[in-house]
Amino acid sequence: MLEDVRTRWHPIAATDDLPLRHVFHGQLLGREFAVWRADDGYVNVWENRCLHRGVRLSIGINDGRELKCQYHGWRYSNRTAGCTYIPAHPADAPARTITNRSFQAVERYGLVWSSEDPRGDLPVVEGIGEDDLLVLRAIPVNASAELVAQRLQSYRFQPNSEIAGTGTNIELVAATEAAVALRSCQGRAETLGVFFVQPVDSGRSVIRGVLSGRPNDAQLTAVLRYHNEALSKLREDLEREAAALPVPVPIEPIFERVSEELASLPELDSRGRKAAIRVQVARKWQTADGIMAFELRPIRGLLPTFQPGAHIDVHLPNGLVRQYSLTNGPGETDRFTIGVKLDPASRGGSQCLHDSVREGDVLAISEPRNNFPLRRDALKTIFVAGGIGVTPLLAMAQTLNNQSLAYELHYFAQNEQQLAFSECRQALGNAVMPHLGLSPSDTVNELRRLLSPYLPDTQLYICGPNPMLESTRSLAAEAGWPEAAVHFEYFKNTNVIDDSSSFEVALARSCLTIKVGAGQSILEAMRDAGVDLPSSCEQGACGTCLATVIEGEPDHQDVYLSPSERASGTKIMTCVSRSKSARLVIDA
Amino acid sequence: MIKLYDYELSGNCYKLRLLMSILGVDYKTVPVDFYPGREHKSEWFLKLNPLGQLPVVDDDGLVLRDAQAILVYLAAKYDAAGTWYPRDNPELLGEISQWLAFADGITSTASAARLHDALFYDFDINTARAGAHRLFRILDEHLWFGERQERQWICSAKQPTIADIACFPYIMLSEEGGISRQDYPAIRRWCDRIKRINGFIVMSGVFPAGPAKAA
Amino acid sequence: MAKTRCLDPVVLNLWHPLGALVELPVDTVVDTVLLEERLSLAVGLGREVAVWRSCPDFVAGDKIDVASVSKSLPAKVAFGYLWASLGSPPDELFPIPEYEETDRRRLNAATFGVNVSAPRAIENFLDMGHFPYVHTDILGVEPHTEVKEYDVDISVERDEILATRCRFFQPLASSASETGAEVEYIFRVPHPYCSVLYKSSPVNDARYDVIAVFMQPLSQESVRAHMMLCILDEDNEDKVIKRFQQTIFGQDKPILENQFPKRLPLDPRAETPIRADKSAIAYRRWLSQKDVRYGVIPASY
Repeated sequence: MLEDVRTRWHPIAATDDLPLRHVFHGQLLGREFAVWRADDGYVNVWENRCLHRGVRLSIGINDGRELKCQYHGWRYSNRTAGCTYIPAHPADAPARTITNRSFQAVERYGLVWSSEDPRGDLPVVEGIGEDDLLVLRAIPVNASAELVAQRLQSYRFQPNSEIAGTGTNIELVAATEAAVALRSCQGRAETLGVFFVQPVDSGRSVIRGVLSGRPNDAQLTAVLRYHNEALSKLREDLEREAAALPVPVPIEPIFERVSEELASLPELDSRGRKAAIRVQVARKWQTADGIMAFELRPIRGLLPTFQPGAHIDVHLPNGLVRQYSLTNGPGETDRFTIGVKLDPASRGGSQCLHDSVREGDVLAISEPRNNFPLRRDALKTIFVAGGIGVTPLLAMAQTLNNQSLAYELHYFAQNEQQLAFSECRQALGNAVMPHLGLSPSDTVNELRRLLSPYLPDTQLYICGPNPMLESTRSLAAEAGWPEAAVHFEYFKNTNVIDDSSSFEVALARSCLTIKVGAGQSILEAMRDAGVDLPSSCEQGACGTCLATVIEGEPDHQDVYLSPSERASGTKIMTCVSRSKSARLVIDA
Repeated sequence: MIKLYDYELSGNCYKLRLLMSILGVDYKTVPVDFYPGREHKSEWFLKLNPLGQLPVVDDDGLVLRDAQAILVYLAAKYDAAGTWYPRDNPELLGEISQWLAFADGITSTASAARLHDALFYDFDINTARAGAHRLFRILDEHLWFGERQERQWICSAKQPTIADIACFPYIMLSEEGGISRQDYPAIRRWCDRIKRINGFIVMSGVFPAGPAKAA
Repeated sequence: MAKTRCLDPVVLNLWHPLGALVELPVDTVVDTVLLEERLSLAVGLGREVAVWRSCPDFVAGDKIDVASVSKSLPAKVAFGYLWASLGSPPDELFPIPEYEETDRRRLNAATFGVNVSAPRAIENFLDMGHFPYVHTDILGVEPHTEVKEYDVDISVERDEILATRCRFFQPLASSASETGAEVEYIFRVPHPYCSVLYKSSPVNDARYDVIAVFMQPLSQESVRAHMMLCILDEDNEDKVIKRFQQTIFGQDKPILENQFPKRLPLDPRAETPIRADKSAIAYRRWLSQKDVRYGVIPASY
């Protein structure tokens, strides 16, 4: 019986209950919901507890894009309900799999509908037109849904245009344990009233009435008050009747256990899954000279949760795989937007996207990976973008902007026409500062000015062409920036990779020892031995294939690790780096 | 300067801190050890207020007791714009007084339930909770119909009045007395609106709201 | 032994706090609740104490000679509170050596009722990550949200949890400075329902203020929280010190009362820990190892 009820759609709120920037506290069959509308209109119906410590999310804050838990400030994204930020560990990207339980939501007949486990579509209600109806004030009742539905059958009301009258003729159109439909006729006046009963808990329900036909403004309030009074009277009788019955045992909601992976203390890494997602190019446009923007929307379902700084692998029609940063701001979970610069020396990646991929095409992409996580515990954050390097920094800037945290985005380009994503930049306002047409030496001077003096609690994020990146890093070091406050992402590794050595790698966890020959990477040798490690750019730039070194001396050839990480000898990028010692032991 | 005889966890004292913050009135607090010290029943305090209740203000020698009465005084004297207690609008003054009395009802039910659960006062908890729910139903209905007439606040003025301030604290703290607000969605929305008034401050047990969407 | 509603032998055999001595009237019957049992208690002028299952012979408010109570449950005085047990408690309660230091202020900041289980309240007491969000501008402030690595040990000889090297950014860290600074904390959990916190003293670099919470479980899902202060402060009035602690506790209260389930789930897969929760993880494991069942949802189901 209860199983049957769980698979049905129930109204859980009125559309009017969800103004922007509010969190509605709902409940269905004992299970509490936090229901909130994002600024883009999407209605989120979530389990009403933060996955971290069980605090109700209905006391949290809806910032229009994300819901923030009141206890530890964990942020959960619009649509996906995935956690995007854990303030206690500002340097880490949270595991994507920290996802709150969410339930489907449909808005119809002025109500918000949901279900624990819906089978089929929301049933159509005959006689109620979507554009011509009146939603009554919901009446919570301390009585079981069964009793309420039963007594509603004898509810009496006048048609909308005759509420002052008496003696209407009432016809019972339909009655189930979840709803009662009554038609009230008097002369030519006729109103259909459908009264849904939301089973809140075993002994609590809400009557949600919808009438056919919207009265004119003069009568509107009178009709609403008329039913409010009559239903309140019915409630009084119902509660008196229910009070005489034995108190039913409340329904215990069953909370899903979190995954095994989340139950243990997470490591620092963020390995992505390989499962490809199919997306459609919903929009392709020229956003700057030589830069095409692509808006990718899911073929079905939702896109996965992403964090600012994340990139995706895009599998191109010509078989190549390329990495592109997401430019989206928080909560923009209905689409991924990337910017692609045409590289004159293109090996076929950017060229294919520019020339061959069209709106409507379907592409496969990976889940977002974040090797460039954004801290949000700085007093101020400085972003330095060179050319197309602006893309991950735009996502970051929107995030800080949304949380009202201080930042500056310095955007270096040759001229106005090369500045991409103008809409997004305009929304960020004066915090975005273009620096146009500077010579290399002027660029250095400008960067020196921007980076000095170093002030404590400031963080620096750089993304751009390699020479600019290198010089920004050394200027920051000169100005006294600690290495830990300087974050960067290379487009690519321009180092010439020397893969002439051969050595042995012991995989500690897999209890395997493999040989890495000349011309072969550690990653390839591992894969040959059946040990998989996620990877992305495979040229030592993106950080995805990071492994921990337990023993031996790595021969670093990547551009991802910082000097101190290199010096520590405990980390290695398995796609390009090698071993100076004859044997390397890694934790894999 | 105004002296407020104050206990941090008192919703009635919070009403005054809240209004003074919104109006930008300077004041200093004199802490009274209401719990566990029962200093409001001490000899020195009874001289100030023979009823032995908080809050009390002393404004340059004028000593006033009773949260609602002090709200009237503060708004009438210090609100230059005259919106919180519009002295020249008899209809509104009537409405305000009506809801100030309603706020007293909230105090004797929702606040009593909180005192029972948190500070072990010997009240009949079921009566207190049932009484609070009865009042919350009335207020939720009033606010719901208000929203339909573009009335955002308790009284029929464009701006909030001291009636809103008087009703807010013990509604917001009701869960500490085991009174859920789940069944009162219009009250929950109104609480968000109060929290977005310029100059709003919190007390222990009240969280701030996030910013409204910029127009 | 009379039948109890609490069937957890571990919890029945613990000492539980019932009230601050200074707040109890002398030679007078006072009623309270422990583990769903109605108890009565009385304190004599010489701090002699008696606790018994409530009976109609002595009603709250009655005058009583403590020595005349014949059927007292195990009872003792420690850290300024009256403690009792419904089972067979150990001889000694856990130690707080600093309590004996004569230059400290020792007081009960308050006893508050909270609708939550004792273990949930203890876990919150061990938590630093919530400071900027729940104790905004007092114990923490955004954007300083990081919980740095710290150490947690379960001390075998003392059978208690010890979290050391805990640091968190606090605005106005001392009355002397306008700016924030990192404050050091040590947390002890020497009893399933009690925790002791050491916090670097703003007036003496070499010493710590001691703040303890002792939970009196009324039921599985409600407690009386007793807050003991044992601090170095020569300037402030008692009521000012109490007001500060009550403000802090009052801020935690709506969080605790909005947690569910109200009992602490010991199944590692019930909630999602992060590295900052090391002490909480150790606490949950320790409760499981001790086989505590009251106020928790045991892991094995």
